[in-house]
Amino acid sequence: VRISTRAGAAARLLTAACCAACAASAAAADASSASNALARDMLAQLTAINTTDSVRGNVTTAAEAMAQRLRTAGFPAEDIHVLGPSERKKNLVARLRGTGAHQPVFLIGHLDVVEARREDWSTDPFQLVEKDGELYGRGTLDMKGPDAIMLASLIRLRQEGFRPTRDIILALTADEEGGSANGVEWLVQHHRELIDAQFVLSGDDYSVLVVNGKPLYFKLVASEKVYADFQLQVTNKGGHSSVPVAENAIYTLTRGLDRLAAYEFPFELNAVTREYYRRLAQIESGQRAADMRAILGNPPDRQALERLSADPVERSITHTTCVATRLDAGHANNALPQRAQAVVNCRILPGHSPEEVRQQLVQVLADPAIAVRYQGSDGTLTDHAPAVRGFAPPPLLPEMLAPLDQLVAATWPGLKVIPGMSAGASDATHTIAAGLPTYTFSPLSVDPSDDREHGRDERISVASFYQANEFFYRYLRTLTAR
Amino acid sequence: MTLSARRLRLAALLTGLLGGAALAADHPEAAAGRGADALAHDIFKQLIEINTTDSVGNITTAAQALAQRFLAAGFPAADVLVAGPEERKKNLVVRLRGSGRQRPVLLIGHLDVVEARGEDWSTDPFKLIEKDGYFYGRGTLDMKSGDAIMAAALLRLKQEGYGGTRDLILALTADEESGCCNGVEWLTRNHRDLIDAEFVLNHDGLVGYSITSEHGVPQEFALSAAEKMYADYQLAVTNRGGHSSLPRPDNAIYQLAQGLLRLGQYSFAFELNEVTRAYFERMAGARSGQVAADMRAITRSPADAQAIARLSLEPELNSLMRTTCVATRLDGGHANNALPQRAQAVVNCRILPGHSKEEVRKELVQVLNDPQIAVRYVTEHGALTDIAPEQRSLPPSPLLPQVLGPLEKTVTALWPGLPVVPFMNAGATDGIFTRAAGLPTYGVAGIAVERGDVRAHGRDERVRVSSFYRGNEFFYRYLKSITAPEVP
Repeated sequence: VRISTRAGAAARLLTAACCAACAASAAAADASSASNALARDMLAQLTAINTTDSVRGNVTTAAEAMAQRLRTAGFPAEDIHVLGPSERKKNLVARLRGTGAHQPVFLIGHLDVVEARREDWSTDPFQLVEKDGELYGRGTLDMKGPDAIMLASLIRLRQEGFRPTRDIILALTADEEGGSANGVEWLVQHHRELIDAQFVLSGDDYSVLVVNGKPLYFKLVASEKVYADFQLQVTNKGGHSSVPVAENAIYTLTRGLDRLAAYEFPFELNAVTREYYRRLAQIESGQRAADMRAILGNPPDRQALERLSADPVERSITHTTCVATRLDAGHANNALPQRAQAVVNCRILPGHSPEEVRQQLVQVLADPAIAVRYQGSDGTLTDHAPAVRGFAPPPLLPEMLAPLDQLVAATWPGLKVIPGMSAGASDATHTIAAGLPTYTFSPLSVDPSDDREHGRDERISVASFYQANEFFYRYLRTLTAR
Repeated sequence: MTLSARRLRLAALLTGLLGGAALAADHPEAAAGRGADALAHDIFKQLIEINTTDSVGNITTAAQALAQRFLAAGFPAADVLVAGPEERKKNLVVRLRGSGRQRPVLLIGHLDVVEARGEDWSTDPFKLIEKDGYFYGRGTLDMKSGDAIMAAALLRLKQEGYGGTRDLILALTADEESGCCNGVEWLTRNHRDLIDAEFVLNHDGLVGYSITSEHGVPQEFALSAAEKMYADYQLAVTNRGGHSSLPRPDNAIYQLAQGLLRLGQYSFAFELNEVTRAYFERMAGARSGQVAADMRAITRSPADAQAIARLSLEPELNSLMRTTCVATRLDGGHANNALPQRAQAVVNCRILPGHSKEEVRKELVQVLNDPQIAVRYVTEHGALTDIAPEQRSLPPSPLLPQVLGPLEKTVTALWPGLPVVPFMNAGATDGIFTRAAGLPTYGVAGIAVERGDVRAHGRDERVRVSSFYRGNEFFYRYLKSITAPEVP
């Protein structure tokens, strides 16, 4: 009890110090805390609306509720749209109009969440519960927290009467986690006019990586690898297992897999991964830092590359990767296999097409008896893969990066923004495919070893939520003040 | 082609062309033979049309139908027994009494058949259909044809007033293909007195036949005198897994694949036994050129390594020379986008006589050469054990002159020039139970099947009409020969 009293006193002291130091108007502090309260209130409302893909979920309800928030805040009706291909899966698109000096910026966040079962959780996953300085609930991190922050920032700018130099468009959407009515893809394909922009900011990843209680760096995802599954298949006439024959579907497949295991796709950097290593080298030390600099040279240092590639993370950033993830063969213990197959999962560097990778796999496997087919996300197989090349990322836009660098340095002295490439796939896939440079960050602080996205007892810290809310508001304001 | 081989083929061809007509003209028992054919056909049809599958079939119905025929033919009720551990799975044991100068011979055949789905077949699998010179139906080859032939032979001998030197015991049984209550095993354990014999003839042969033909010409008569032992093993690799966007060098699938590559390249040691040695010696006479020379070279001591290597390229011969183990199933991973936490394979082995299941498991561990690949034994019920049974594959049955002599005589009479070759089955039959009970056991059936057209267990199972009748005549004559009062 004494400790908590002391802590409370210290907190009050800090607040007072802050106010004195800021020396800004009391109004600013009031606006900040009002925005935090609004953001939290909206997060509580969103958490309580089940937006899972299951029959109980309804994204439209959440979109309508947030549309109502915007109307209440004074956004004109013509700048608020709730629309989508499915009754239960409608998206919200809102616009804060600016001077039009620059092309718009487009903010995206998904409203849907992955399933959560009450019996697995310590609290009700569909109620926002504060406990020990943390906010618990499904979606607090992924990504109703960032959704609420984006909305609150937009409302705060609107209420301040701020006129941005570019329109700020916000879309809160359906079916990022699953389902067949992906909102971003649908908007890009059917309502390009509503969302056309110079670039996109997605809030779908926390950015401040905290390790052992200390922020390590600020992660800015500026590129994505392309996901593709391939099926390798060998067929054989089979026969009775008492008389093994030379040609065996399983052995043919395993010979191919052995060659695949030994193969490495070529080393390749792009504008984003170059910047990643350039900046990371300033944080790292010793051999690793030296190696990062050495692979940026022309030609890149082979030995440095080999050392770095021993780390699966660095290897995935510098190469397309393909790995066998599933096996299936045979139909009876006492019959020679008539069929053997494997799934190979690839993460393709931007600038290359799935079909290009499929052809490379055919070469690596070096056996015409192994058929290599593309497996779509719905499981269908095709002899050829899509030939569309993912856009290689353009150099990082200074008008996006400079304010971020500046604000990060001001908020977390010494912390660096490290732009990177994600090996996973998010809704950015759709905006990148539409030719819109897309940057993903959300200024929430999370310890990656306690990342509860998709898991039980998902949470964010209250302090981090408020800090991120203030950060994002300032960033948007700076970004659109020029 | 050598002269002798050409003569042999010509003789076989002639026999094939002349068929039953030549026999009918040559033999005084021709009329009886035709009557016997009709009888065998009737029994065959009756059996095919009684469903004896494990799922919905009833073995007891078939056993009782045959028992009725024996009783009607004058067999004393004491010599016709229908018995078994389960209502639906009773076995028939019939004894035709001889003079008792020699010990009895036990004839075994299973009445059960594997499942057959009407929609997969061109004909109703549970009707005997004659079409284009074949009998179609489930069990026409495996092995209701043999059951009918053995039953018909006993009835014919009885009708003739049997005066043979030995009792002939016929056991037609349940659950050879699958199921709870294997009839032969049950009889050897519970009614040894009923079935005790000097030796056993199993009409299952290879799978219901012993003669392999090519283009309709019989090539060899295989006398099955040994069986390999069946064993399944599971190879498993586990791994902590992870997200597939970050592949690591340690990967359960790749690790298993590397083990399987070593297994695929490995050959178990070359080894002959009495039966396979005789097989190669006799086949050397029937084959020509390099193959014949190689067959001779591997039967000498020491065996010629290059000859072994050349013959091993032929899968059928390879399986006679060594234990074989082959990967038959694979399973690994749980999601396309996750590194596999587990990869596993089933390896099916056929073990040479004299070797144990645990011995083979240990050899697999050595071959795979990776302590992270766990090698477990899979029991017949699918359970896994870390160690396999010490149970050894049974030694071959000795090539007894009282079995082989009459067989060669009978085969030569019906198929002049056809070589009789001792053979080791790579698969398993009910012979494992009689052999385990200490009874020498021989697979013998006068039915011929074209190489590559063995439809046992498959769809549109069939047997040639002419071959069924020839097989019927063969078996009757062979029984007469092994029970003849004066040894020729």
